[in-house]
Amino acid sequence: MTEPIDIARLVAGRQPGYSLPAPFYSNADIFRHDLELIFGRHWIYVGAEPEIPDAGDFITVAWGAASVLVARDDDGRIRAFHNVCRHRGARLQQAGRGVLGNIVCPYHQWTYNLNGDLIHCKHMGADFDRSGFGLRPVHVENLAGLLFVCVAAEPAPGFDALRTAMAPYLAPHDIPNAKVAHQSDLIELGNWKLTMENNRECYHCVGSHPELLVSLLEYGFGYAPSPQNTKQIQGFNELLAREHGRWEGYGLPSREIDRLEEVTGFRTVRLPIARSGESQTPDTKVASSRLLGAYTHADLGGLSFWTQPNSWHHVMSDHVVTFSVRPLAPGRTLLRTTWLVHKDAQQGVDYDLEQLTSVWMATNKQDGALIERAQQGIESPAYRPGPYSPFTEGLVEKFCEWYIGRLAAGLERTQ
Amino acid sequence: MSADQQAPEDFGVTFRSAAGRTVRCRTDQFVLEAGEDAGIPLSYGCREGACGTCKSKLLSGQVRMEHNGGIRQREIDAGYILLCCSIPLSDLLIE
Repeated sequence: MTEPIDIARLVAGRQPGYSLPAPFYSNADIFRHDLELIFGRHWIYVGAEPEIPDAGDFITVAWGAASVLVARDDDGRIRAFHNVCRHRGARLQQAGRGVLGNIVCPYHQWTYNLNGDLIHCKHMGADFDRSGFGLRPVHVENLAGLLFVCVAAEPAPGFDALRTAMAPYLAPHDIPNAKVAHQSDLIELGNWKLTMENNRECYHCVGSHPELLVSLLEYGFGYAPSPQNTKQIQGFNELLAREHGRWEGYGLPSREIDRLEEVTGFRTVRLPIARSGESQTPDTKVASSRLLGAYTHADLGGLSFWTQPNSWHHVMSDHVVTFSVRPLAPGRTLLRTTWLVHKDAQQGVDYDLEQLTSVWMATNKQDGALIERAQQGIESPAYRPGPYSPFTEGLVEKFCEWYIGRLAAGLERTQ
Repeated sequence: MSADQQAPEDFGVTFRSAAGRTVRCRTDQFVLEAGEDAGIPLSYGCREGACGTCKSKLLSGQVRMEHNGGIRQREIDAGYILLCCSIPLSDLLIE
């Protein structure tokens, strides 16, 4: 795609209920707008608190050319800064994770403390005012152990509402007292929106995800009713009502909340798990015998939590699987998957890593192949936007609606 | 040197990174300075124990170190020191 395109016209002309026109998945100019207007202005899920458990621990998170340093300071608070030196702009940390004393630029050793203050720089003269050259802060929020950043000067509205709604669902799982059991990075050869769209439907699950389907009840993800499945759908709805009643009796909010259309959009619901009802594992039993939080019941189903524009999470009695999506290029996306278990759980004693990770390792790989296939087809000249199923792809439509709406709002503000 | 003059004690400091060369380091100087005096190439930044540029692994021996936040306790526990603010208390072997 070398011809200039009219993004505002494409945005205004998007047909609801249909997949997006090809340039949204492949055009470099639209990709630049995605970075600036979507990732640059909204709350982006970057990782879980247990990734930086101790003072000085940091991770770096990048999308496009942007890079953010997220660290825990000496008082235990989570801090985020642009990963750019205030001297001549060198990237401060190239590693994806590590331990910091102070934050030191390797180029000329400008040194910042974890408040971002410039505390040391040589050869700048006695009258140099260091106070004007602290690190540029990034807004950061900790939602019950899930970390979000917003790089905009004015953060996107709605994080408090998200916290109010979601903290009661997440808090009992005690994510801050979990630990990282495993982390996996997958580069998908597709546009980041294909990764998100694929996550928002399970139409493709029966054909592609045999491992996931052992624990997954597909009726939880939308189904076209027919005379053949009336009984099954009714049975699922009865199970859902019964389990919600039981879990809420344990103090676990379970009902669906769908606010995907909001600026800081999200959705959640606690869904039953098939067979033994415990966990997304090869045999649906918990992978870790040391349960999260103060749980005594293993069969708590799975809390699913989705955020616009870049994350989803599955939170069970014994472990959490959390997914962060980062655009690298129009046709390249990083999917980072992190498995959390109770911090006292011991590998090989309380949990087996293969049992813990194999379902989503397999599912991610299958999804990566589907996303690559989708990208290839969409880039061919024959592609035309196609219709979403009203029964199984409603959440894909909600994602695209949100994306188009936020792009339109951003374009309006920019002009 | 006359017998009544108290010479500062010194220790041997061996740098693995410099083909195992050993230099003398007095107890009134920092390990970084002793290495520099002997022409051993060593990276440094602030020389105040704040930036961590001279962080090195101490494979054996003991030092007294007064840093300014350039190193974490758990890095110290893992055997790391800052050469710019460490004084030898014994012979040292540095990676």
